[in-house]
Amino acid sequence: MTEFSFDSLIVFLNRRWDDIFALVAEHIAVVAISLVIALVVGVGIGLLVWDKPISRSIAITSAGVAITIPSLALLAILSPVLGLGWGPTVVALVFYSLLPIVRNTVVGLREVPSHIIESASGMGMTPARVLLQTQLPIAWPIILTGVRVAAQLTIGIAAIAAYVAGPGLGSYIFKGLSSLGSKNALNFALTGTVAVVLLALLVDGLFVLITRYTTSRGLRA
Amino acid sequence: MAAIITTETEAIAVRSVIPAAGKGRATRLIRRFTAPIVVVVICLVVFTWISITPLDSIEQRTLNPAYIIARVREHLVLSVTAAALVSVLAIPAGIIVYRSSSRVFHAIIFGLANIGQATPAVGVVILLAIVWQTGFTTALVALVAYSFLPVLRNTLTGLEQVDASVRESARGMGMTPNQVLRRIELPLASPVILAGLRTSLVFAVGVATIATFINAGGLGDMIINGLKLQRFPVLLVGAVLVACIAVLIDWVASLVEDAVKPRGL
Repeated sequence: MTEFSFDSLIVFLNRRWDDIFALVAEHIAVVAISLVIALVVGVGIGLLVWDKPISRSIAITSAGVAITIPSLALLAILSPVLGLGWGPTVVALVFYSLLPIVRNTVVGLREVPSHIIESASGMGMTPARVLLQTQLPIAWPIILTGVRVAAQLTIGIAAIAAYVAGPGLGSYIFKGLSSLGSKNALNFALTGTVAVVLLALLVDGLFVLITRYTTSRGLRA
Repeated sequence: MAAIITTETEAIAVRSVIPAAGKGRATRLIRRFTAPIVVVVICLVVFTWISITPLDSIEQRTLNPAYIIARVREHLVLSVTAAALVSVLAIPAGIIVYRSSSRVFHAIIFGLANIGQATPAVGVVILLAIVWQTGFTTALVALVAYSFLPVLRNTLTGLEQVDASVRESARGMGMTPNQVLRRIELPLASPVILAGLRTSLVFAVGVATIATFINAGGLGDMIINGLKLQRFPVLLVGAVLVACIAVLIDWVASLVEDAVKPRGL
């Protein structure tokens, strides 16, 4: 049982702001690395399976089962193989990012109106060019929505990854738990949790900008 | 065609509407029973592996039926109670918010739900343990608090998406507002509300794993013991069991969802 005291929180933040910023940077780094990997893998899978009913169903169903697995269980299974720290964290974050990205890629590619695809092939584009130069740009905002969801998921899961010595703000949350009863327990856990929330909201806003500037110019509203 | 995923709740909820690979009865049956079959196979493989591996005394203390069943029971009680409490609290709250029909109030609820979703579950659990106490009750309260807003939001979304013309027809037929709610709006909103509940149930199984950190038992105990004592078999059994429970509960919930859905939809 710890009483909250605003003064002690201010002192706490004053003494450790450099440490906190380092953790925020780590948190952003691990999420960004995982999202880039997941984007490449996820869009790759999406491009491979979007027009094949059976493999599409298998890909989306297995990604759906994957996301049900509790993150602590996955991190624990990965740790004897990949050790502690960044390795299992990145693999786990990529794992959980795949469902929204693969699914939105498939839906995005499939929802391109057929008359647009016909026009593109009518202009003499090969199927591969139609896919990469017509369908993919049109599906891009939808794919990015998937990446945004993945970002929200992974920012939260990265906090749990601190238990297997993963990078980021989760270490402050766990430090709060391990110093339960001490003066700074609440400050540690509160700082870690609030920083994760702020980071998640900030990244969500950032995605609005990313979507705006990476959408093909002809498609911008 | 299925909708795109735009929120985390949807990321989990939309799995139920995956486009079917084939239309035949056989394909449907295979799809329906893939999850339980895979779970049973994985459990058998792990069981066989454990029974042929020589276990040291630390492992024997954990890997015996009595210990495992006790942990599974704790885990199920925690997650199912949390999901039940959430459905009893959040769905009526959603209906009340919907009835208030104040745009500002709705916007505030959606905003709060977004912030709630950005909050890491582990933070909520540990913060509550620090300011209050450790143990089962704290884990239960944290779980309910964590799932409350997503379920409320889904209830609100489901009710709001009911076609205005359908609502007007019902009123035109002489139904009272309460009748419209019970006989038209709630049935039409039920798929969205149920999807939200199912998500919160699966989520509860995941967060219940974290409950071990605040001494609330469950299968997280086995995972943490395995990690700390470097006993891979213990860790593996705990992790595989909790993953299997999550997949199975999700599967059962999908059956319930199909059974409860109004036939006309």
